[in-house]
Amino acid sequence: MLNLPRWQTIAIIVVTVLAGLLALPNLLPASVDAMLPAWYQASRINLGLDLRGGAHFLLEADLRGVMNERLTNLSDSLRGEMRKQQVTYKSLDIDNGKSVTIVLRDEGQRSKALDGVRAVDPALVVTGSGDTMNVAYPDVELTRKRKEVIDQSIEILRRRVDETGTIEPTIVRQGDDRILLQIPGIKDTTELKRKINQTAKLTFHLVDENVAATGQNVPSALPPTTFLVPTREGMQALRAADPKKFDEITTANPRLTPEQICRRYQPPCLPVFKRVVVGGEDLDDAKSTFENQQQGGRPIISFTFNGPGGRAFCAATRANIGKRLAIQLDSEIISAPVVQSAICGGSGIITGQFTTQQTQEQSLLLRSGALPATLTIIEERTVGADLGADAIHAGTVAALVGTAFVILFMLISYGPLFGGFASLAMMVNMLLVFAGMSVLGASLTLPGIAGLVLTVGMSVDSNVLIYERVREEKANGRSAFSALATGYEKALTAVIDSNLTALIAGVLLFGFGAGPIRGFATSLSLGLLTHLFTATIFTRMILATWVRWRRPTELPI
Amino acid sequence: MLWRAHHLISGKTTFDFLGKRKIALIASTVINVLSIVGVFTLGLNFGIDFEGGIAIQVRAKQGDIHLENLRTITSGLGVGEVSLQEFGDNKSALIRVQRQEGNDQCVAHADHVMKKRAGDGWKVEPGAATTGDVTFTSPASLDSAAWRDAVSTVGLTLQDRQLPRANSNSVKIDMSHEQRAEWCQQVAIKLVEDAIGGQYELRGTESVGPKIGEELMHSGVIAVLATLGAICLYVWLRFEWQFGVAALVALLHDVISTMGLFVLLHLDFSLTALAAVLTIAGYSINDTVVIFDRVRENMRRYRKMSLIELLNFSVNETLSRTLMTSGTVFVAVLALVLFGGPVLYSFSIAMLWGVVVGTYSSIWIASAMLVYLKLRPEQFRAKAEDAKAKA
Repeated sequence: MLNLPRWQTIAIIVVTVLAGLLALPNLLPASVDAMLPAWYQASRINLGLDLRGGAHFLLEADLRGVMNERLTNLSDSLRGEMRKQQVTYKSLDIDNGKSVTIVLRDEGQRSKALDGVRAVDPALVVTGSGDTMNVAYPDVELTRKRKEVIDQSIEILRRRVDETGTIEPTIVRQGDDRILLQIPGIKDTTELKRKINQTAKLTFHLVDENVAATGQNVPSALPPTTFLVPTREGMQALRAADPKKFDEITTANPRLTPEQICRRYQPPCLPVFKRVVVGGEDLDDAKSTFENQQQGGRPIISFTFNGPGGRAFCAATRANIGKRLAIQLDSEIISAPVVQSAICGGSGIITGQFTTQQTQEQSLLLRSGALPATLTIIEERTVGADLGADAIHAGTVAALVGTAFVILFMLISYGPLFGGFASLAMMVNMLLVFAGMSVLGASLTLPGIAGLVLTVGMSVDSNVLIYERVREEKANGRSAFSALATGYEKALTAVIDSNLTALIAGVLLFGFGAGPIRGFATSLSLGLLTHLFTATIFTRMILATWVRWRRPTELPI
Repeated sequence: MLWRAHHLISGKTTFDFLGKRKIALIASTVINVLSIVGVFTLGLNFGIDFEGGIAIQVRAKQGDIHLENLRTITSGLGVGEVSLQEFGDNKSALIRVQRQEGNDQCVAHADHVMKKRAGDGWKVEPGAATTGDVTFTSPASLDSAAWRDAVSTVGLTLQDRQLPRANSNSVKIDMSHEQRAEWCQQVAIKLVEDAIGGQYELRGTESVGPKIGEELMHSGVIAVLATLGAICLYVWLRFEWQFGVAALVALLHDVISTMGLFVLLHLDFSLTALAAVLTIAGYSINDTVVIFDRVRENMRRYRKMSLIELLNFSVNETLSRTLMTSGTVFVAVLALVLFGGPVLYSFSIAMLWGVVVGTYSSIWIASAMLVYLKLRPEQFRAKAEDAKAKA
């Protein structure tokens, strides 16, 4: 036991120092922390929502509603196709939300009816016999659709919740039909719920060139048919110049109208006619693409109108050649290109200073507009920032006092030397836990702090096991040297056993874990794992070094 | 007092633990039976995590909190059972509202909230009784953004297809009863918030719908069973089946009596409480394993000793470290009880109890069980020698 190979000693020291460095950013005051390089700052334990304040939502998407809607559309298409194929049927209904059931008048028309079904969608699965046909989407297709609905919802939520790109929400899928939404530092969840409910609104308006010709950005009087809308570049400039003001605009309740924004904050605005030339509801499709190389190859959004939309757009462009047509998305004008010629093909493009990511997001929003499925909040946990601060305070005090209690207990029981060794090992263990949590990017929750306090108590246990065994061996008449070596070796199995059994509970708890409990399981399990290192190797190194240095004949234990 | 080591337990004790095993078993049986009876008759005070419902932490904007005043306000709301307790300091309180059913009363609440938050002209009415449908009517013709904003005041999201058609000011939202029940939690939060918002500051809100509550309950039971099973299996593999069963009995003893404590003290049984139960199971087995380890060692060494003697000897030999290891965790948990704040209170109290009862059961119950399971040292030795011979 006492002959520790040199490489092991070096490895222990390297691990400990490394852990110290990794854990360090957590302990530094903010002012010092700001001077560190970014990659180093990143090594930091995230505070859970219950400590930093914030909102946690579990949303459930109503996939059944989506599927029902889909079946309704399918039954409409089937009716049309049956008519085309001149198939007569007794009934054509949605059956228990899974399939469309057609009951034919004439069994002989089955093959014709099958042709009709194939014409709607060749992937459809038909079961049943005789005059009854059950038409359904294949399971693969349903799974794909479900996934698509959830993915799309997540995308839309991300954009709605994080308009300013600064609040770093966590939005992840959970299970089949759920979305977990965590937003740090939010105060008003009513506002958040309103945002979730928003939809991207696209409209085309002609620019009021008479007003624009006056050259005033925000004219005091406007014709009743005209209103002001800020431009996207204008808003971005405002955001860069004064992020606080920008936040004020995006979080104002009730929401500000575009004109109010123009008048109060004076960003560059455009006067446009209130009349909507074409609206987003007439949009069939929108996708992100690139303009051709001669024009610069920039990312653009291309869109297609439905019939009525295309006709209205055609008429408006034909009548207004040479004038500007403003494209308004939500409360901003994305761009206002000059109409070069009548656009009658039913499609067009939106150009602007976009990045590829922006065009992808925008086209997704235009395409889907609203959320593809109704989202119901099935779990909500909101913690105000000051409540979180209280929790941090209570947790810190409990942790410090707990540590002090344990150290005192060890010093009294085993004297300053061995009690000190145990306390040192415990503190190194805590350092390792902090480092581990920083590396894993784990969140520290209030139950997580409780887990740390427990770890403090448990991590001196192995020292107790070793020391008590050493006492026994000493009482059995062994020399100091031999008592230490035998005691350590004989205690080792018990140390490992007790850690593993506790780890079983920790791991299962993690698997079960929801929310803050996961934080508890994480810190506890991590503590037990690192403890296996400090209890076996680190403690051994200390004892071995001490024995070699002092060559004791009597153990002060 | 710190300059030298103190032996808190003197080196050699010769307490006759096993001789008193009957007393211990009777006491434990009584406690456990009472706990089980308590759990089934009085019931655990399940928190909203398992039961579903709403918990709101509030603080008085001025002066101390008056629970009577709060009770007057909340009891008139018609949201079912409301329980109030002081929370942390005398300025703060925790309001617990029972899980909401998706009944027509909840729709009436939604109507109330909507009139207050979105405007007087709004109307919310239930649809046919066989469905959970809800009909919203706006005071005037509104555009889709205004509709969405208004409806979000009662925590509902709308889709385009659900918006009213032209020339209509009302819209029917299709919902099942289950969906409506989930939504009603949101309505109740708003209702309570509106009622108390003037005098109290809302510090935190939690709501758990019926579905999640049931799921957590289900997976919680599985987690406890899986933990007990896994630990029992581990001990069985490391030792003999008798040890595994004895450990399981000791663990059940700890878990059941902890539940009893929750009933007795009327503590909130929440997710953190469940975490405490699992941690107690994982922790109390430590001492048991240490004792078993020594029993096994001594069985090889002292071939002439009777089982009772052997067990007594082993328990006494390990007594000081059993008590010391529990002591370190005990003082750490004590700090949590004293300073951890109201949120961790149930957890900390349960852990404190768990440390004590776990130590007791390791010393008395687990070793006594070995006697009743008729562990035969000879048989065990034969096996060990067999293994040695093979190796």
